[in-house]
Amino acid sequence: MIGASEPTNVWQWLGDSSQRTVSGSIPEQLWATLWHSLLAFAIAAAIAIPIAAWLAHRRRAELISGWIVNIGRVIPTITLLGLFVLISLRNGYGFEPWPIVGALALLALPPLFANTYTAVREASPDAVAAARAVGLTETQVLTRVELPLAAPLIVAAGRVTLTQVVATEALGALFAGAGLGIYVRFGFASDDIQQIQAGALLVAGTAMAVDAVLWAGTRLLLPRWGPTPPGAGRGRQPLDLTTIQPQGGTP
Amino acid sequence: MSDATARRRWVAWALVAAAAIGALAWAVARTRGLDEQTQATNPIFRWEYLLVRERTPEELWARTREHLELTVVPVVLGTVLSGVLAALVLRFRVLQGTVFTLAGVLYTIPSLALFGILSTYVSNWTSAVAALTTYTLLIITRNIVAGIDGVSPAALDAADGLGMGRRQRLLAVELPLATPVILTGIRVATVTTVGLVGISKVIQLGGLASYVFDGFNRDYSTLIILGSASMVLLAVVLDLALRGVERLLTPWARRAGAR
Repeated sequence: MIGASEPTNVWQWLGDSSQRTVSGSIPEQLWATLWHSLLAFAIAAAIAIPIAAWLAHRRRAELISGWIVNIGRVIPTITLLGLFVLISLRNGYGFEPWPIVGALALLALPPLFANTYTAVREASPDAVAAARAVGLTETQVLTRVELPLAAPLIVAAGRVTLTQVVATEALGALFAGAGLGIYVRFGFASDDIQQIQAGALLVAGTAMAVDAVLWAGTRLLLPRWGPTPPGAGRGRQPLDLTTIQPQGGTP
Repeated sequence: MSDATARRRWVAWALVAAAAIGALAWAVARTRGLDEQTQATNPIFRWEYLLVRERTPEELWARTREHLELTVVPVVLGTVLSGVLAALVLRFRVLQGTVFTLAGVLYTIPSLALFGILSTYVSNWTSAVAALTTYTLLIITRNIVAGIDGVSPAALDAADGLGMGRRQRLLAVELPLATPVILTGIRVATVTTVGLVGISKVIQLGGLASYVFDGFNRDYSTLIILGSASMVLLAVVLDLALRGVERLLTPWARRAGAR
């Protein structure tokens, strides 16, 4: 880390690529962060959304789906990462990328599951009754009525969850994984203030950028349907306290 | 809550309790009569680290205390700050969007980044408390506002009809009725903070999570499990304690049996 000219501030550090010969270049680590996160999110969504939608349609497992968010919130992120990496090492699969992707996928499951469940269950009972009355089969009721009605909430939950996964990916670096968190770890390891600050900026900037892109994307793509609550009585605008509580773990 | 749901909840709790007791009994049975060599062949969790090693209780207590401190201080600070923010939002509705967007943006900053950047300016302890407080703001503020917004108009009309002033109505009607929602916010914030404290290990704190990182660095899974289990236990205990507080503060909810 000791070169001919030490950077004296974050911007110099960011501009000097010779600082990153050991830790890997920024595009390389950004790419690692993004593909780890996207893959983990895709796996979690593929598992959680269909199961939750079907269970909610059948009104099954209501108690468990209520608990699942709490369970997810209580299990520390670092536990999963630490254990997965250790188990992977002992079985010869290395530090990266599978244990980290697996841990992230597991972290993304509870919020996706719980929000999909609630969204489908809360789909307008009138619409569902009408669909049955005109003779739709149960599968059609789910795919043509309940899921479209639930879509805005599911997509919103997906956005919150994916942002969280990207933010959490940084922690993978603490367990010897790749990703932008690596600069923070290297910075702390060598007491390099510029590197800590630069790493923190990169991690935070990526999370915020992903959130902003997803926000814009959902605004553009989602039709705004569903009932809009009228500003009822006493001039109070009810605050939207939907179930998309950002879920535990690591923001 | 219907009778059937109550019964099922009870059964679920009984199952969890039975599983916990079973696991403990199994653990004790396994530990007895096992010499160290036998245990070494089963290295996922070495019970003698917890039950035999002399320094463990002291160390465990010290780390639990650090963890508890780093949870309670930010949650208390966060509750006070959120109270102020919520009061602003409730008084000046135009601020609602700004306050929640700001809190949302702060919530998006990954904890690793926040700990990292703050620790280059202020002491480690201050950075940890400041960062963790930041994360409680969104959850608690939102629940205070939603709780007070959710008070039924009938109750407000009744309060007005009794001739209550604005302040009196807030203290005697709105706050008590919003208590369950507000306490839910504090509870969620607390459980979330217990998990986040662990990441402060990067700035030489970390509480119980120190075990997790030590265990990882030494390839010693016993420590990871010990640290994680104690973190989960701490979160559950705090959660139950706050649920208890909620029951004490809202006796009418039990009598009415419905909300």
